[in-house]
Amino acid sequence: MDPIILAVAVLLPVFGGALIPLLPFRSRRQMLIYIEAVVLLNTVLVLTALLNRPADGFVLFHLNGKLSISFQLDGLGTVFAAIVSLLWPLATLYAFEYMTHEGHEKYFFMFYTITYGITLGIAFAEDIVTMYCFYEMLTLVTLPLILHTLSREAILAGRTYLYYSLGGAAFAFIGMIFILNYGSTADFTPGGVLMLAKVGDSQDLLLLIYVLCFLGFSVKAAMFPFGGWLPKAGVAPTPVTALLHAVAVVKAGAFTLMRITYYSFGVSFLRGTWAQTVVMVFVLITIVYGCSRALKETHLKRRLAYSTMSNLSYILFGVVLMSPLGLTGALCHMIFHAVMKICSFFCAGAVIYKSGRNYIHELDGMGRKMPKVFGAFTVSAFALMGVPGLCGFISKWNLAKAAVENPHPLAIFGVAALLISALLTAIYMLTIVVRAFFPGKDFDYHTLDGITDPTWKMLLPLGIFVVLMVLFGLHSAPIVSALSKLAAAAV
Amino acid sequence: MNMWIFLPVLLPAVAGITLLAASFRGHLAGKADGESTQARRTLHTFTAAVLVLTAVLALLAAWSGEHEVTLFYLMEDIPVYFHIDAVGRLFVTVVSIVWLCVGFYSFTYMEHEGEEKRFFGFFLLVYAVLIALDFSGNLVTMYLFYELMTLCSMPLVLHNGSREAIMAALKYLFYSMCGAYLGLFGIFCLYHYCDTLAFTAGGTLNNAAASGHTGLLLVAVFAMLIGFGAKAGMFPLHAWLPAAHPVAPSPASAALSGIIVKSGVLAVIRVVFYIAGPDLIRGTWVQTVWMTLTLITIFMGSLLAFREPVFKKRLAYSTVSQVSYILFGLSVLQPEAMGGALLHVVFHAFIKCALFLTAGVFIFKYGKTRVEELDGIGKRLPKTLWCYTFASLALIGIPPTSGFISKWHLAEGALAAPVGIFRYLGPVVLLISALLTAGYLLPVTVRGFLPGRDWQTEHRAETIPEKEPVGMLVPLLVLAALAVLLGLFPNPVISYVTDLAATLL
Amino acid sequence: MAFVQNFPFFCIILTLFSGPLSSILSGKAARRLNLMVITLVGAMNTAVLAFVLKNGTYYVYKMGHFPAPWGNEIRVGVLEAVMAVFFCLIMLLSMLGGMREREQEIEESKQNLYYIMVNLLLSSLLALVYTNDLFTAYVFVEINTISACGLIMIKQNGRTIVAATRYMIMSLLGSGMLLLGICFLYGITGQLLMSNIQESVSKIHLSGVYDTPLIVALGLMSVGLAVKSALFPFHGWLPDAYGYSTVSSAAILSSLVSKGYIFLLLKIFYRVVGFGIVRESKVIHVLFVFGILGMIIGSVDAIRANSIRRMIAYSSVAQIGYIYMGFGLGTTAGVLASVFHIISHAAAKSLLFVSASGITDASGDSTDFFDLTGAGYRNKVAGVAFTAGALSMVGFPMFSGFISKIMFAQAAVGHAHKMLPTLIALAISTILNTVYFLKTVIRIYTPARREEAKEKQYQTITMRQQPAKAAALICFIILNLILGLFSQPIVNWLEQGLRMFA
Repeated sequence: MDPIILAVAVLLPVFGGALIPLLPFRSRRQMLIYIEAVVLLNTVLVLTALLNRPADGFVLFHLNGKLSISFQLDGLGTVFAAIVSLLWPLATLYAFEYMTHEGHEKYFFMFYTITYGITLGIAFAEDIVTMYCFYEMLTLVTLPLILHTLSREAILAGRTYLYYSLGGAAFAFIGMIFILNYGSTADFTPGGVLMLAKVGDSQDLLLLIYVLCFLGFSVKAAMFPFGGWLPKAGVAPTPVTALLHAVAVVKAGAFTLMRITYYSFGVSFLRGTWAQTVVMVFVLITIVYGCSRALKETHLKRRLAYSTMSNLSYILFGVVLMSPLGLTGALCHMIFHAVMKICSFFCAGAVIYKSGRNYIHELDGMGRKMPKVFGAFTVSAFALMGVPGLCGFISKWNLAKAAVENPHPLAIFGVAALLISALLTAIYMLTIVVRAFFPGKDFDYHTLDGITDPTWKMLLPLGIFVVLMVLFGLHSAPIVSALSKLAAAAV
Repeated sequence: MNMWIFLPVLLPAVAGITLLAASFRGHLAGKADGESTQARRTLHTFTAAVLVLTAVLALLAAWSGEHEVTLFYLMEDIPVYFHIDAVGRLFVTVVSIVWLCVGFYSFTYMEHEGEEKRFFGFFLLVYAVLIALDFSGNLVTMYLFYELMTLCSMPLVLHNGSREAIMAALKYLFYSMCGAYLGLFGIFCLYHYCDTLAFTAGGTLNNAAASGHTGLLLVAVFAMLIGFGAKAGMFPLHAWLPAAHPVAPSPASAALSGIIVKSGVLAVIRVVFYIAGPDLIRGTWVQTVWMTLTLITIFMGSLLAFREPVFKKRLAYSTVSQVSYILFGLSVLQPEAMGGALLHVVFHAFIKCALFLTAGVFIFKYGKTRVEELDGIGKRLPKTLWCYTFASLALIGIPPTSGFISKWHLAEGALAAPVGIFRYLGPVVLLISALLTAGYLLPVTVRGFLPGRDWQTEHRAETIPEKEPVGMLVPLLVLAALAVLLGLFPNPVISYVTDLAATLL
Repeated sequence: MAFVQNFPFFCIILTLFSGPLSSILSGKAARRLNLMVITLVGAMNTAVLAFVLKNGTYYVYKMGHFPAPWGNEIRVGVLEAVMAVFFCLIMLLSMLGGMREREQEIEESKQNLYYIMVNLLLSSLLALVYTNDLFTAYVFVEINTISACGLIMIKQNGRTIVAATRYMIMSLLGSGMLLLGICFLYGITGQLLMSNIQESVSKIHLSGVYDTPLIVALGLMSVGLAVKSALFPFHGWLPDAYGYSTVSSAAILSSLVSKGYIFLLLKIFYRVVGFGIVRESKVIHVLFVFGILGMIIGSVDAIRANSIRRMIAYSSVAQIGYIYMGFGLGTTAGVLASVFHIISHAAAKSLLFVSASGITDASGDSTDFFDLTGAGYRNKVAGVAFTAGALSMVGFPMFSGFISKIMFAQAAVGHAHKMLPTLIALAISTILNTVYFLKTVIRIYTPARREEAKEKQYQTITMRQQPAKAAALICFIILNLILGLFSQPIVNWLEQGLRMFA
């Protein structure tokens, strides 16, 4: 396959999205058809590329000398691109119904669609410079989505997001510079690109830089203490919180961390060093911290956001184990968490859309009025808890497996952290489920009159996600073995 | 193919889900809760048919030899695998008997609780899960059904939907989850150091891989003991029991106390004797701490029961204490004590079930929940109270009832085991606890039959025997009879468990 | 000798004399003349650039064919030519962009005075760029100062006069120090032509006789020029001068005048003292430290600033800090980064000044942040331009700032002591830049409440109403993008130029 398809897949949504406010649509319907067409077409393009993986890279243009914007597709990119491209059309479909009550649709869909391209840019980036550029752009194009309502709260959230993200990128920038100088190439290469001869005495310095770089990129992955933006960004419309703040943006953060750890610095250089210990401590703290904050939170979407924070650190935990098994677990959780969390967010969105209720104590008895939505929510809750038979268990299993066999002394505490977090997850998710289905004996259902399940546009994605969660949970062997092959190649 | 052994799992599961769906549909249609007698009769017939059929199938599957089935692979090297062995057989039998009794009892009892469809739906589901749990052939399969059991049994606890019940159910859920995750921690660790997670008598520990990591393995096993012990009401994670029992409908409490806590015991047996192997923990700090914890639980449970004025809560504390008898029997790692423990599994299931069902009768007839309200109850419900008395005697361990047999074996085993001070400490605590048991159970009988002259003059109307509901009395009688008769003719059971214990130790 | 080689000299003369010529013209005619002259000069410099690129080497142009030490020389290499072209370009766009404000804010009778000043300024800048004579450089520094003062105070209100006075005092202090330094050098070497001085200096340095006076001279010249280009802590005069003067003045002052001095300093480092000696001296460490402090403190001040103009002005302090930090690294790569930053900052900063004026136009001429709410919708071009400028300043990929940031960082890597401070300062400075620039961007895209908009009588400004400004802004954006996306040829020229320079 000609590698130009990668560039096309990145640019099509960018330009397709940018055209939305300019094209003279006669009706909303026309616009929606146009958007879904662009998104679907791009998904088809991406899937074609994934199935016939182009062997070479494609250089879009040179920034200067060594630096170029170029794309390629390798195993890791395939995973991320697959997640993104499969979820995007569904999320767009969901947004069609949801956005009717938010307004300013044109601009919303413009940025929403552009983000698709930019996210793919991160997935397809051939070298660290390209990835960095798209990472920065991602911040910029998602900012308007957070600001969407333009309420005071939204603007504060947008500012926080911006400061955190660009601030993080500033530190990640340092790492990039070092890779450019100490690496044999800027391209991502399995096993890393550091030229150890050149590193010489400055090993500690490079480790320090790795830590800085890790912390910098971890802002998008909402690692403590840099995850403060994520719960605040919950003010954005639900399609954004669901797709971007549970999947695209935050997973992009995790993805960049995989790239720098496994493909730039290289695990053989990092394994067993103090740098690994430092980042692991951060990750472990986040796993527990995110859950405990979720427990205290009474706002539904913010609770889910904190949950995302903790779950992302599961992925990061797999990453910092720096072993093939760890990466397998991380990739596994990257895929599965995407499905689980987007499902629970969509449920939350459906509730907000149908009833305008945002807080958990307002959800009493809703399970009986919106059985399908809350059914899906329950399944996603069980999956997030790690009930066996659903996908969450598989990734947890793989992560724990990796941790137990890992020689790092902190790894076993990671297992403990995973399980503490699972318990807290059970508490904060099941209280919602119990509330919704068992509001108490003397609950007056007439207060919920008029609330029903939404239409098929919202239910279809939910149904697909539920099926996926069960399917992945019961039959994960093909995915896991593919991922472990990929991870083995990366180390 | 052995696929037919899934029938006893599938049948109640499908039936349960059907009932739940029907219940939900009813709610969506906005139908009033009160069902017509006709509909109730249909529901009961349906449930009864499913229960009987399932029980027959389960017993058939269990007693027709060793079956092994690999259903599918959850992960590359982790199959969902069923294997019916001696322990599973024992548990399935107990579960089926109790479930039948409780099921028939509920047809009458649940009339005053309402939402019958939902109740029976979950009731059947839990049955299915329990059978699957007993049939599980490896640790992950067992964990899968263990979690499902928690999730499916929770709605039974919060059945009446009061604030209290919901809080209690959540407490139950979170304690169980906490336990399950501690167990999972152990599973993760053991997976790495064991040859296989399939249950094999004597353990599957890979000594080559495990050497040098004994510390971690001990921590892992200990975590599993505490974790699965939570379900079995072992200190320190016992607090959910006294909270969950009083609010749950009596049949649910009976099932919880009789069976579900035993699942914790089953899990502990599986971990210690089938995966980690008793040799790993023998003589280590894990065994010491485990024994200490069980003894603490035995004593504390009895003491708390003694002080407790709410009848069902008292029974709940009693369960806390009695199940730790079983765990203590397991913890000394001695064949005879283990036999005693397994015997106590069987006996305690019947006894405690009978006791809770009695409590249910009192609630059903008069709504009485506190011990002091039960004065003179024997005048009105003599048969029920006689059942209660026999069951109590069995629990205390008065010969020739069943409880005596199991406790005898426990004490014998403890004395014969090389466990230092615990050799004596164990039997002493058992004895004290037995005294306390008598102290908290018998007053109900005594005051129930002999409320005193003053009381009789005050409550003249309440001294005439009343009609006792047959639907509830029969299961009660069966269970009480079992509790006594197994003590009179214990030999088949004893020989079964002795053989079993001998293969494991 | 090719005819083109005369162009640098022509340029200086042309601009110098078009000044007096403007004084007898009317305001409008003077404007036209001025624009024409700038365009013409730009074209001539482009030709010169093409010539030196083709030749691949520099040439020396002797004025009046007198040999040294009496004669005066012009020395043209690629670096000088690029700078000259760039200065003309920025100046042209700034003049275009600030046209309307100029005509509103400056008295009718003083209109042509403004153009005189601008012409003088350009001529002095070109002379600073091209001259090979230290004393000539000093003379044009003074001319530059005076014309800059004129540009500041021509918009007559109390604040600009105070600002101009402060500027004058600081600048003259700087000039004085520069002059002292030149005198020292003259005393030691007896030469005024840069190339001759360097020969003597390297001999003296080898003999080790006049080491202290040499360092003193170097220090005096560096500090003098640092004062004039507003290196922290000598930046006190800058926010008022840039913040209250008319737009085109602010743009020109911030992006050209200070850059002219910096270029002169570069010249002194390379061509007068010799970069080897500079590197050995402690002066660059001092520059490095103050450069970094400037980066941080300038940004902190910018965050605290209460008007958009002052914020941009403070940001200049930070950016000047970057440039000095690059010098302070003491490597060719560092200097190259600094030189690129001179260009990229000039492009971004003038863009910001001009677009800020467009934004304030749409906000009832208030520069207060609160009044800017929603201005991005009222003046679309200015909003987009401001965003682009802000992103460039933050160092966002695709914009010029990113390239200079990368160049600074790469120059720093491998430096034993200065690497970590540089990288961390870059990171922190990026964060601070984000805070104040993007906060403003969000502010201008937050819709104003309807009642407020009515009450304050905000007006919507379309491209048609201000064609010159819109065109200038668009050109600026394109310039920034070109520098960000296709920087390689320019960096190559600069590299080649630096090689010719030494």
